[in-house]
Amino acid sequence: MVFIVIVIICFLLQMIAPWWVIIVVAFATCGIIGKTAKIAFWQSFFAIFLLWIGYALFKSLPNDNVLAGRVAVMTGIKIWWALLLVTGILSGLVAGISGFCGYHFRMAMLAKKTDEKLA
Amino acid sequence: MNKIKALFCVIIPITLAFLFNTKIGQNPPLLKFLNPFMGFWQNAENNHFIFNHKAKIKGAIDKIEIVFDDRMIPHIFAQNDHDLYLAQGYVTAMHRLWQMDFQTRFAAGRISEVVGEKAIEVDRYQRRMGMVYGAEHSLKGMMADPKAKEMILAYTEGINAYIKTLSHSNYPLEYKLLDFKPENWTPIKCALLLKQMSAVLAMGSDEFYMTNILKKFGPEVTKDLFPDYPFKEDPIIPVGSKWDFTPLTTPKTPQSFTDATTGDVKTKEKIEGIGSNNWALSGSKTASGYPILANDPHLDLTLPSIWYQIQLHAPGVNTYGVSLPGAPGVIIGFNQKIAWGVTNVAADVLDFYQIKFKDSSHNEYWYNNKWNKTTRRLENIKIRGSKDEIDTVYYTHHGPVVYFQKPKYGRADNVPVGDALRWIAHDRSNELMTFYYLNRGSNYNDYRKALTFYTAPAQNFVFASIDNDIAITPNGKFPLKWKEQGKFILDGTDPAYDWQGWIPAAQNPTVKNPPRGFVSSANQSSTDPTYPYYINWEFAPYERGKRINDRLGAMSKATMDSIRLMQTDNYSILAQNVLPAVVPLLNPESLNATQKEALSYINKWSKRYDADEIAASVFEIWTKRLAFNIWNDEFVVKGIPMRYPSRDRTVEMILKEPNAKWYDNINTKQKETLPDLVNEAFKYSCDSLERRFGPINKDWRWSNVKQTNVPHLAKIPGFGSKILQIGGAKSTINAISETNGPSWRMVIELGKTPKGHGVYPGGQSGNPGSKFYDNMVDTWASGKLYDLFYMQTPDDKSGKIISRLKISK
Repeated sequence: MVFIVIVIICFLLQMIAPWWVIIVVAFATCGIIGKTAKIAFWQSFFAIFLLWIGYALFKSLPNDNVLAGRVAVMTGIKIWWALLLVTGILSGLVAGISGFCGYHFRMAMLAKKTDEKLA
Repeated sequence: MNKIKALFCVIIPITLAFLFNTKIGQNPPLLKFLNPFMGFWQNAENNHFIFNHKAKIKGAIDKIEIVFDDRMIPHIFAQNDHDLYLAQGYVTAMHRLWQMDFQTRFAAGRISEVVGEKAIEVDRYQRRMGMVYGAEHSLKGMMADPKAKEMILAYTEGINAYIKTLSHSNYPLEYKLLDFKPENWTPIKCALLLKQMSAVLAMGSDEFYMTNILKKFGPEVTKDLFPDYPFKEDPIIPVGSKWDFTPLTTPKTPQSFTDATTGDVKTKEKIEGIGSNNWALSGSKTASGYPILANDPHLDLTLPSIWYQIQLHAPGVNTYGVSLPGAPGVIIGFNQKIAWGVTNVAADVLDFYQIKFKDSSHNEYWYNNKWNKTTRRLENIKIRGSKDEIDTVYYTHHGPVVYFQKPKYGRADNVPVGDALRWIAHDRSNELMTFYYLNRGSNYNDYRKALTFYTAPAQNFVFASIDNDIAITPNGKFPLKWKEQGKFILDGTDPAYDWQGWIPAAQNPTVKNPPRGFVSSANQSSTDPTYPYYINWEFAPYERGKRINDRLGAMSKATMDSIRLMQTDNYSILAQNVLPAVVPLLNPESLNATQKEALSYINKWSKRYDADEIAASVFEIWTKRLAFNIWNDEFVVKGIPMRYPSRDRTVEMILKEPNAKWYDNINTKQKETLPDLVNEAFKYSCDSLERRFGPINKDWRWSNVKQTNVPHLAKIPGFGSKILQIGGAKSTINAISETNGPSWRMVIELGKTPKGHGVYPGGQSGNPGSKFYDNMVDTWASGKLYDLFYMQTPDDKSGKIISRLKISK
C-alpha cells in the first residue's frame, strides 16, 4: 500500500515540485499508513528506487544513453547504468530513511499521547 | 524521551533534503542533479523523434518560419530585419544559451559569481584590463546607429523570449551542474562578446618582454635578433604592389627611449596558436570560371563550438555562414553574389605606458609637464559564498593602470606593473555594421564600404564576387604610429608617445584582382616594407602563407576538391627550410640504435605532418629543443621576463650564421657550437619519445604524440571529444595542434547559384545530451566538408528538413 501511494503521489508531484517532495511524501505516507518500520523503509525505498530509475530510463533510452554515458565519465563512475543505479539507490535510501522516520515519528507521537493519557 | 525521538525523526529528513540540495565544493547538489524529473536526465534529447514547434513571441512583427536541416542548422525566413534578428536570437539561445551566458560572464569578469572565490584572479584581470569599460563604449557606438540598435534590440528580445519559456527542468545541463540560473540577456552582452573576440585575437603584447631584452642586451642585439621585417616572408599584399594614395605624415619618433621596471615571472616561448588561413581565386584559375573563396579561422577548439551555422533570409538579404553565439548577423559566409572570410591581423593596437604617479595615492600622474588627475572606476565583483569585492581601477587618459602588484595569474604574465594600458578595444566602435553590410553586399564597392565600419580585432577580410572580383584587405582601425612605437613600453609622461591619429580607412593595405589571380592570407606580414605606415614589427611566421601561395600559384582549373585538399595540407615549409641544414650536422657515429633508426625515418620523410608520420614527431621535438638549446641560457634570467627571438630569426641564424655567439651555452665552461646543439637536440627528441613509447613503433606516430581533441568549454571531463588521430601542425596549412586549429572550414564556389561547403569540429547544439552536440567532429577530422544547404524559400526541396519552428505574434 505504502509503495503504491508513494509511487503515484511522487510521480504526479514531481512533475512540478522539486526532488525533495519524495522526502515529504515518504515521511507523510509512512507517518499515516506505515504498518511497521520495515515496511516503512523498504516500500519507500523501492517506490522511489523504481520510480526514479523508470523515469530516468524513459528519458535516457530514446537518447541511446549518450548523455548518461557522458555524465558517468564526468562523475568518474564511467558506466552509464552504474550511474542509473546510483540515482536509484541514493534516492531510494533518502526516501526509505524518510519513511522510516515518518513511521517512528508517529510512534513517538502516539507514545507521547499515551504517556499524557496515563499521566 | 519520545519528544527527542520525534525531533530526530523530523531533523533527519530535513538534513537529508538540505544535504542533497546543496552544492558542496565542486559537486553539484546531488539529488537535485540526479532527479530524473528535473535534473540532468531531462537534458537527454530524443535521438529518434524530432517534432515541429510553434512559438508565440509578443515582439514579433510578422510571421517567421525557421526550418532545421538534417544537421540541425536553422534557416530563418522572416519578413523584415527586426524579425530576422529576433529569430536569430531565439534559435541561438535555444541551442547555445549556456555558452552565450558563460562567455559573456567570463568577458565581464563575473565568473566568481558562479564558481566562487577560486575565479577571483580571472575576474580581476578581465575588469582591470578594461573589458567592461570597453564594452560600455562599444555599446554606445552601436546604439548610436539606428540599424545596429535595431539589430541588437531584436536579437536581445529573441534571446529573452526563449529564456522565458524555460523552467528548471529544461535549463541547459551546465546550469544544473554549476547550480545557477540563466539571467536575461542585455545589449551590453553583445558588446562584451565582441570585446572578448578582441581579447582572444588582439590582446597579445610582448612589449614588457622586449623592454627587458632591450635593457639586458642593448639596442644592437635587440635590433639584430628582433628585426622589424622577417628574413623569409611572403606578405599578404603581393610584393611590388603600388600604394595609390598620398600618405599622412607619421609622427616623429621621440628622442628619448624608455625603460621600465620588471617583475618576476618566467620567460615563455612565444606560443603560436591563434591564426587562420583564407584565400580567394579569381575565375581565371578555376574550372567553373567563377571565383572560389576559402577560409579556416584557427582558434581554441571547444564544445559547444565557437561558431553557430545559420542562414538568414529576409527582404534584401539571404546569407549563410557562421555566427558567433551572442552577436547578430553572419560573420564568415556568403550570399547570392559575394563571399567573404577573415583571418587575424597581428596589428599592434595594445600598448603599455609607464606612469609616473605623484604619490602612492595614485590620484595624480605626470604628463605633458604637469600633474593630471586619474579617475577611479570601482569594479564590484560578486563572489558566490562570500562577500562582494570592490576593486578600484585607476584610469589615466591612456587607459587603466592594470596592476600595482603582480598577481599570481598566468594570463597576466606579460602585463607590466604600474603601467597604463592603451588598447583599441577600449574605443567606441560598431563592428556589427560591417557584417550587416557584408551580409547584404553584392559587389566590390559594398565590400569596401562595409569595411570602413570596422575597428577591432583587425582582420584580413578576403572577398570574392560573382563579377569575378577578388580582393583582400588587412582591415581595422590602426593607430598612426612612428616606427617601432609600442615595440617597447612607452613613456607615459610625454605626449609624443601617445597615439596621434589613425591611418585613414581607405589607406589600409588592400589589393584587388592582382595579376597572379589569387589573394591569400595566413596572418603573416600585411605588406612588404614599402607600405608607408607602421602596423607592427612582428607578424605570424610566414610558412603557412608561403605554402598557400606556392600551391595557389601552381594551380589552374581549381575545383572545390582541390581547395578542400589544400585546407588539409600538412606539408611543412619549416622542415623544407631547416632539414637540409641540420641533418648534415648530425654525427651518425655517436647515435644509438634507436636514434639511427629515427634518422632513417627523417631521411625518408615527405616533410608532411601526416597522422602516421614518425619523422614528424621526431622533427617537432628536435626543433623545439634546438631553439631551447640556442636561446634558453641567455633569455631565461630569473626575475627578468623575456621571450625568445622568433622562429624566423632562429632559422635565419641556423642557415646563415654558423658561428654566431648565441650557440655557446654560457652556463658551461666549454664552447658549444651549432652541431653540438643539433646533436644534443636530436638525441633528446629520440630519447624522450623512447621514454614515453618504448623503441620505435607505431605509437611514435605524430597523431599519437599530438593527441588532438576538442575539450568542453569549461573543460568538464566526459563532455569533450575523444582523442582524434589526425595530422596537421601549427606551421602547416592544416594548423591543428592539441586543442587548437581550424574552428570552421569553408569553401564557397560562386556561380549562378553559389555552392557552399563547410564543417566545424562540433555540432549545432550546445547540449551534451543531443546527437547534434558533436556530430560533425568525425567529418571535420577526416578533412571532408558538408554541402551547405542554401535555401531560397522555406519549402525549398533541395535539402533534407527534419523540423520546423513557426513563430507568430
